[in-house]
Amino acid sequence: MEKIASAKTCLKLLQVLPGVQQAATIPGGLAPPLQNLIQMQQVRHRQTKHWQPEFKRLRKLKFVKMDLPNLREKQEDITKEEMRSRMKERGVLPPRPWMERPFHISCTGGIFEAYVPPEGDGKKSIISTSGAKQKLEFLEKKSKSLMAVRKIRSYEESFGTDEFGAEAQDIYIQAHTHMAAKEKYKIREFVTERCYPEMMHNVKDKTIRWKFLQSLEPPRVVHARVTEVITKENQFAQVTVRFHSQQMLAIYDRFGRLMHGSEILTKDVLEYVVFEKHISNEYGKWRLHDKIIPDWLPAKEPAPITYRLIEDMEEEPPKELSAGEEAKQLETGSEQSKEQLQLTTPVESRAKPSLTI
Amino acid sequence: MHKVIRQMGQLRLQVSQGAALLRSRETGNPVVISTAPPALQVKSLHTGGMLCAKWNKYNYGPRKWLEYNKTVHPPQETDEEPRKAYVCHMRNNIKYSPDKMWYIAAFVRGMSVDEALKQLNFVLKKGATDVKETILEAQQMAVERHNVEYKSNLWIAESFVGKGRVFKGVRRHARGRFGKVEYKHCHYFVRLEEGEPPQHYYQEPQTPEQQYEHWLEQMRSRKIINSL
Repeated sequence: MEKIASAKTCLKLLQVLPGVQQAATIPGGLAPPLQNLIQMQQVRHRQTKHWQPEFKRLRKLKFVKMDLPNLREKQEDITKEEMRSRMKERGVLPPRPWMERPFHISCTGGIFEAYVPPEGDGKKSIISTSGAKQKLEFLEKKSKSLMAVRKIRSYEESFGTDEFGAEAQDIYIQAHTHMAAKEKYKIREFVTERCYPEMMHNVKDKTIRWKFLQSLEPPRVVHARVTEVITKENQFAQVTVRFHSQQMLAIYDRFGRLMHGSEILTKDVLEYVVFEKHISNEYGKWRLHDKIIPDWLPAKEPAPITYRLIEDMEEEPPKELSAGEEAKQLETGSEQSKEQLQLTTPVESRAKPSLTI
Repeated sequence: MHKVIRQMGQLRLQVSQGAALLRSRETGNPVVISTAPPALQVKSLHTGGMLCAKWNKYNYGPRKWLEYNKTVHPPQETDEEPRKAYVCHMRNNIKYSPDKMWYIAAFVRGMSVDEALKQLNFVLKKGATDVKETILEAQQMAVERHNVEYKSNLWIAESFVGKGRVFKGVRRHARGRFGKVEYKHCHYFVRLEEGEPPQHYYQEPQTPEQQYEHWLEQMRSRKIINSL
């Protein structure tokens, strides 16, 4: 047994020895004094200049090493493994995943069976063929609306299509004046939760001057629908009202410069506005829910501002240029940018303007 | 001293783990620790709630500067000269000394944005990249959110530095003494304004004659007439 054991150790030694020799030849595994020599060879940069570079390592050792927290670290830059190891170190349990989705039960999420406004409304006469056709279709669709109106009346006795127009106009004016005044609490009584972000999203850093001047035609109920949500007793009613009115709108940006519209200009506005009420709720109110924008509506006039299209930005990659090139590009930069600038309508930068025909 | 160093080591973890975790820890620990055996006590020192990114409760960093972006000016008349758009931006807790950053901040002051970006490419200082990135971000903000039409039509109206968090470290000296090292952070603030940069950002340089005139006037104004 002993002999075998000694033979084994001998073999091991033999295995180790060539390894040692190899290590000596490879630059990484040099003998310690040699290693020191390599470290001492200094490269002098502008920042690393010292009058006595030989003791650099010792000087470094004078500082007690400490881990500084990275204050500019972003949550999304940390990898999952990194996060896991850190939490393990601290003994913290991972946060529970957030499974809930917030939603409102006091209004619906959209328009059901939306009304399709007749093409060229407010322009075409009933006598023309298309006008007559529209009138006929309108009559056909009316039976369903009548049923819905009857249903609404069963919950709200005083409801009538003739009287509702005036009430709707009042709600409409209130909602818009509160939006222009940025009254974010008062407006909640006149718009539904679905409509609120659409109206209030972009008004924050703008000044809006809005005025309802007069009604050209009396507001008219054109469409009514009732649906149940989840249970049969939970009923929602939606009524579409046609407004034909004259309005004034001017939008100023944060610095008081006119962005859109004008205060001295009156515009005729034709709108189909959807009002909603939670009829099975005893304290439900008619509130502004949405506006119907038909497909046949012509494109809005472009905004009087020049800006760069995002597609152009993607095309040119951000490149590091040498000094000469950079200077050249900057000289020509103004011309280039002018070419790439295009006029288009910034839809998202506007508070939803009224549908103008 | 060891304790301090260990606490510092734990700081990094604290910063990254998000507010929810921090809150949960702040409420729980102290009672448990007082009853824990000594061996455990060393491991779970009650540094938890104390030394996180917000160990100092009121340590929010600079908050007022970005609030200026929310000011809404009243609408102007048609005959008035349109107000110049401006946008404030900042970058906080840059790992760089505020003293060194000052040179870069003062350097770009009063330049047009294009000029500043061009010049900053050739500034061989660590903070120059942060300044450059901040200016670029501000420029983008101005165009996207603040109704600025041309992104080159901006100049650096204000550019300054604030002092951020300072971590204290230790440095060995001879004879068992020690010195203090400060690991500093800084905030960089910038305000871009629409339009061309002014000819002179600071006071207009004066000729010796003008300076003399000014001095003379100052001296004469000191005289009190009809006095003793």
